[in-house]
This record gives sequence, C-alpha cells and structure tokens, in this order.
Amino acid sequence: MKLSLVAFTLVALAPAQVSYEQLLAPDPANWLHYSGQYHARRHSELQQVSTETVKDLVPAWIFHVPNSRRLESVPIVVDGVMYVSYPNFVYALDARTGRQIWEYQREPALQKGPNRGVAVYGNKVYMGTPDAHLVALDARNGSELWATKIAEAREGYWSPGAPLVIKGKVIQGIAPGEHGLNGILAAFDAETGERLWRWNAIPGPGEPGHETWAGDSWKTGGGNTWLTGSYDPELNLIYQGVGNPAPDFDGDVRKGDNLYTESMVALDADTGKLKWHFQFTPHDVHDWDAVEIPVLVNAPFNGQPRKLLLQANRNGFYYVLDRVTGEFLHGSPFVKLNWASGLTKAGRPIRVPGIEPSLKGTKTCPATSGATNWMSPAVNPATGWFYFVAQEGCGINTKSRDTFRPGGNPFMGTGYVESPEEPWQMYVRALDIATGKLQWEYKQVNSRRYGAGLLSTAGGLIFAGDDQGFLTALDARTGQALWHFNTGEQISGQPMTYAFHGQQYVGIAAGSNVVAFRLHGRQ
Amino acid sequence: MNCRRALPVLALLPFLLPAQSREQRRVRPNPVEARAGHLLYNRSCTMCHGLDGAAGDRAPALGAQRRYLRASTPDLIDAIRNGIKGTNMPSSPLGDSDINKIVAYIHSLRATAADVEVPGDASAGEAVFHGKGDCIKCHMIRGLGGILGPDLSNIGAQRKLDDIRAALTVSKPVPARGYQPVNIVTKAGSRIEGVAKNENNFSIQVLGRDEKLHLILHDEIRELQHEGKSLMPTDAAKRLSPDEFQNLLAFLARQTGSGAQP
Repeated sequence: MKLSLVAFTLVALAPAQVSYEQLLAPDPANWLHYSGQYHARRHSELQQVSTETVKDLVPAWIFHVPNSRRLESVPIVVDGVMYVSYPNFVYALDARTGRQIWEYQREPALQKGPNRGVAVYGNKVYMGTPDAHLVALDARNGSELWATKIAEAREGYWSPGAPLVIKGKVIQGIAPGEHGLNGILAAFDAETGERLWRWNAIPGPGEPGHETWAGDSWKTGGGNTWLTGSYDPELNLIYQGVGNPAPDFDGDVRKGDNLYTESMVALDADTGKLKWHFQFTPHDVHDWDAVEIPVLVNAPFNGQPRKLLLQANRNGFYYVLDRVTGEFLHGSPFVKLNWASGLTKAGRPIRVPGIEPSLKGTKTCPATSGATNWMSPAVNPATGWFYFVAQEGCGINTKSRDTFRPGGNPFMGTGYVESPEEPWQMYVRALDIATGKLQWEYKQVNSRRYGAGLLSTAGGLIFAGDDQGFLTALDARTGQALWHFNTGEQISGQPMTYAFHGQQYVGIAAGSNVVAFRLHGRQ
Repeated sequence: MNCRRALPVLALLPFLLPAQSREQRRVRPNPVEARAGHLLYNRSCTMCHGLDGAAGDRAPALGAQRRYLRASTPDLIDAIRNGIKGTNMPSSPLGDSDINKIVAYIHSLRATAADVEVPGDASAGEAVFHGKGDCIKCHMIRGLGGILGPDLSNIGAQRKLDDIRAALTVSKPVPARGYQPVNIVTKAGSRIEGVAKNENNFSIQVLGRDEKLHLILHDEIRELQHEGKSLMPTDAAKRLSPDEFQNLLAFLARQTGSGAQP
C-alpha cells in the first residue's frame, strides 16, 4: 500500500505546504480536492480498508460543528490536518483524533448556506462566503490574510462551492440560480486575491450565444456555478457545469436556447476564454441545473482511446462527451423519464410535447429535485464503472408569470411538488462508462432526500451516505452492502478518505458532525 | 479624535461590509455624557448595582458582557424609565437628559478599546509593535507577524482598553486556553517546545516555537511539562518609555479589521 508515513514515528509537520505538483498528483494519504483529484473520479488508492477488512471499520472520532445542520463540506486533509467548513466558519482538526487546532469565524454572520468546503494551496486555506467573498486564511493559525469580493452580496449572490486551485489561481463560482442573477466563474491570484479573469455565463450583446435569448431576457438569465468543476492539466481546460435559466419554470419570457445555462463549458485555465460548450437541456423549464460534477476519464470509446467527460445530469440522461472538442458521444436515460423520448445524434433532447410546467400542474419525471444532483459520483478503475446516486420519482410542475425584483428575491415563475403517485426514492447505481448500461443498483430504502454522494477506493469499495444517516460500504463489483454505520443525522456530504501514521481513515460530514472511521484495533 | 478614521481607508475597503455591520451593533458613548452619567449612576443605581459598574448585592454588574443584559439604547432607556417587570428593577423618576447620560455611562462600561478615545500616536505605536516592543514576533496583524500568540487584527473591537493594558503589564495566573506553553520529549527522542492549541487525556496539538504543528498522542510522549506562565511578557511598561507604551496602546486600540478569533 502507498502510505508515505511510517507508523508511529513522530513527524514534525510542515504547515500545509501544498504545491501545484501535489495538487496534480496528490499523495493518497492526503485529500486535497473537493472531488479527490482534478479529474474528479473520487477514487483513492488507499486499500487498508477493503472488502476483506471493512467489517472491522469503527468510528475513530466525531467532531461536532456547533450550531450547524446539514453540513455539506468535504473535508480537506493535508499531512494529518483536516480542514472542514460551515458558512462563515473553518475548523482545522487533528485528523487522527478530531481535536480542534484552530477555528476561523467570518463576520458578518450572514447565514446563507451551505458551504461545500475549502481548498488548501501553499500555506493558505481558501473559502467562499455567504457574502460572496473569497477569503484566504493562514493554514497554520486561521488568521485571515485577505478577503476579495466575487460578486455583490446585496444583489443576492453568495459563494457556496469549494474553490479549485490551478497554477496559483483560485477558481471560484457563485450562487444562486433562482433569483435572476447571472452567473460567473472567476479566477483570483492565490497570493494576493487580485481577480485575474472572469467568465460570464450569460453572453452579453455582441457575444456569441447572445442570440439565444429573446429581447432583454438575458439580463436576468441566471446560469450559476455553485458546484466545483474539474480540470485537465494537459489540455489546460476547466470543465464547469452551469445552472438553470431564470425564471426557472416560465420559459415563455426567455424564448430561445438560453446559452450557456444547462451546459458544460470548457474554459482555458489561464484566460477564462470559452473553448467549447455542450448544452444538455436547451431552453430548460424544469430547473435541471447542469452543475453535476464532470468526471474526466481516458477510456476506449468505439474501440478508440478517447479523452472523455462523463456526467449524470439532473435531467435524467447520462452523457459521454469528448472533452477535447465537446463532441457528444453518447447519452442514455438512467431513470424513468417522460419529458424526452431520446436524444438526437448531436445530443439534443427530443421533447415530448406537453411536458412543461402549467397553471394546473404537469407531472414531470424526473422531478425538479433531479434524477441526480450535487451528490458526487465516482469512477473505480478496477471495474471501469461510473457510480452515482440517482433519484427515481416524479414531480408536479406549475407555472405563473413572475416579475424580476433586484436584491436577491426569488424569480422562479412558480415551482414544483413531489408527485404523490410516484414518490422519490434514492439509489446508488453503477453504469458502464461507454454504454451507460446498468451494472447493479443499491436501493437506499426509505431515503428520498438527496445530497449524500460516493467515494471509490482501491479496497474494492464504494462508500455511500444516505438520508437516513447511514454511511454504507458497498462492494464495487456487486453493489452488496458489506458494512454500515448509523451516524444519527441525514447525510448531505460526500465521503472522503485519508491516511496518517500508517492508518487509513474514512471521513464524512454527517448532519452536524464530522465523523472519521478506521479499522478496529489499530491506532 | 475618531480612531476609525485614523485607519487607512484602503486597508478597510475589502472589509467594508463587516465593518459596517460591527458599526451598527456598537454604540460609541459620548465621553462628556458618560462622565456626567458616571456621577448620576453612582448616586442613583449603586443601591442595587455596584459602585462604578461593578456587581452589587441585589443586581448584576452592568459592565459585564452577559447576554441577558439589555444592550441597545432604547432598551436601556426603557428599563430605567419604566423598570423591568418581574424583577426588582424599579422605574426611575429621573428626566430624559439624566437617563441619557446614565445610558452613555453604561455603554462606556461595555465599550471595547476601539470605542473609547485612546490618547497617543498610533503610527508611532505601530513602530513600537514592529520594533522595540517585539510584539510582531508572536502576534499577527492583517497577515503579517508571528503565530504563537493570538491574531490582533481585531483586538480593538474585541477587548476593553483595560484588558489590553493588563495583558501588557500583568501576569495571568493561568495561561489562556490555546496558548499553554509546553515542553515535550517524545519516546522517539524528539524535543518539542511550543504552545498547546488543544489537549485532553489522550492527545495534544502543539504549535511549536518553530511555527510548525505537532499532532501527538500521549502514548507517544515520554515527558510532558506544562509551563506555569504564558509566553506573553508583561514588562512592556518597564521596557518601553511611557510615551512608547501609550502609543502602543493607541495602535492596538485602533485594530478593528478582520482576523482569526484570539
């Protein structure tokens, strides 16, 4: 196994020295990215905890985050120090014992949430805030070094995503999607906080794509960037999913395809210039944000080795794109859906007439909550399968005319409820990467609220959280549950793993706690 | 002089929003009114509340930071004018002008260093902080300085002036939590000197004098010694001239920026 630290030797820890080289190829003992690595496969090479040993997995410690609920932070671990966040708060913990080293609190305590985690680069910890700033902290003691504005909080923006650090730039997106506020993705100098580039998700007059918005509808078009994207260092491209158009459910006032909402965009990491885009749901009227994590794999497709981008989209289709060009290669439904009968050769949905929000309500499958959502997927190289959390079920979507009001007011054109005939149900599913063919599924019985994602490990395991509070280890080949633990609160976070002093840990933010597990009898 | 205006405007810009919010919460007492209020207070309120804002036999110290104490000006005026139902606090026959003075005095009791006028030359105090005072070796302000001691970027908004003065001149009987000096020899033979950021029966998290973190289980330790005294020197008033000391106080009192919580 690849543990770099020898058991029981005391190591004087250099304070969080994370270089770009380490971000490119992290030591498996550390967990340096929201999605594990730049390619977002959420797979760890650690294998102490395996299909054989997982039965002996026990809680090592619990850290309670005061006054919190539904934590979504993915812990970042650097050389035995864990950094977890809650809106306005960062905690540095001893990753072996869960003991607090320092706490950072930002004022003002605007409580918009969630916060999905921090990034660490050099000696600094970076976090987005409820007042739409990016803050940099000294990783050693939590001192705030600078805070830079990403967008106007008074207009309603905030910044929940975990930052992505690339070559000395901190890439950060914004929320929300429901207020008619146009999205951006921006890069900041990791040292000074100076803004280096900004990409506008809604093209303005004269820019390509502007013609996909009727009249002035682009001004309140939405298209936000509230989940962390992925990065290909060879192509130097950032892949970012873009959220829904606004108003969400009333498309009549924004005729056209509404670029670049509901799209995957590839941006040059140095300049923020758009290289290509692919729109999953043109002219979306169901709030099917396309921000789901884009997973990058190199795999054969139709017999040819290809650089692929995989995404299970909130609209119910699994997509395979060529990540060099953005070419659509494959798409297939992964849940029961009634709004499209299929995809064209170019990947455009073939819509079923009449499945759009209405005054009385229209049954739509999947529901607006999504066939999947921010819960992280994973790819296991041993099986070559794509693992993700799917939600079966339908919603009733309604529509009305809304008026945009500045200042962060909802601009949705009405909403949706769960269909009583087909209530929601969560599954963990494994798909063949190239064909999207289902390999196995694990029904999370009684789980119908989403948010908990997956982790893959070289121990042959898929770890999954659920709304009942269970963290479960599944056999990556069969989907059989080999181990479970009741954390006591609904899980809305993504599991991760790390090692310290020769011991592998599995960590997850569960409800209002961070919980770490290790094999019994080891310390 | 208004201390906030003394801060460089550019340095405040990134923190404009938080600064405004803090400003809204804080009441800056008028010193003339507060002095007049002090006399009135000691005449009218000390039967129950103690002299000079201390705790009395029948009612709490009004300078204390307690959540249940009334904080806003209207709440304080209401309590004095109308009493507090269900308690021994009676209504007062004093006129509005006197009530306002007492309220100003109560606010001054609760004011942190940034809320009061601190004489001295803050920029000369900054030079003392960086130079003769040697404060920067252990304390950080807005990203510059050492990390063994608390970050002082916001100390003027967090501590009363008397507390800052005491920290510079009076030894504490027990080092503050998170700053307990420790000397460790591990079973492997390493020596670690620093401050314990945290400790329980089974593990200790030490920030070494080398400014590196050492995360240690007690099982791995051969010797663990807790120093009785904080690393914070308390001879500032002796080492510095009276002017230098006052200038340092003036500088610290003006620190109301962001930073970690000390």
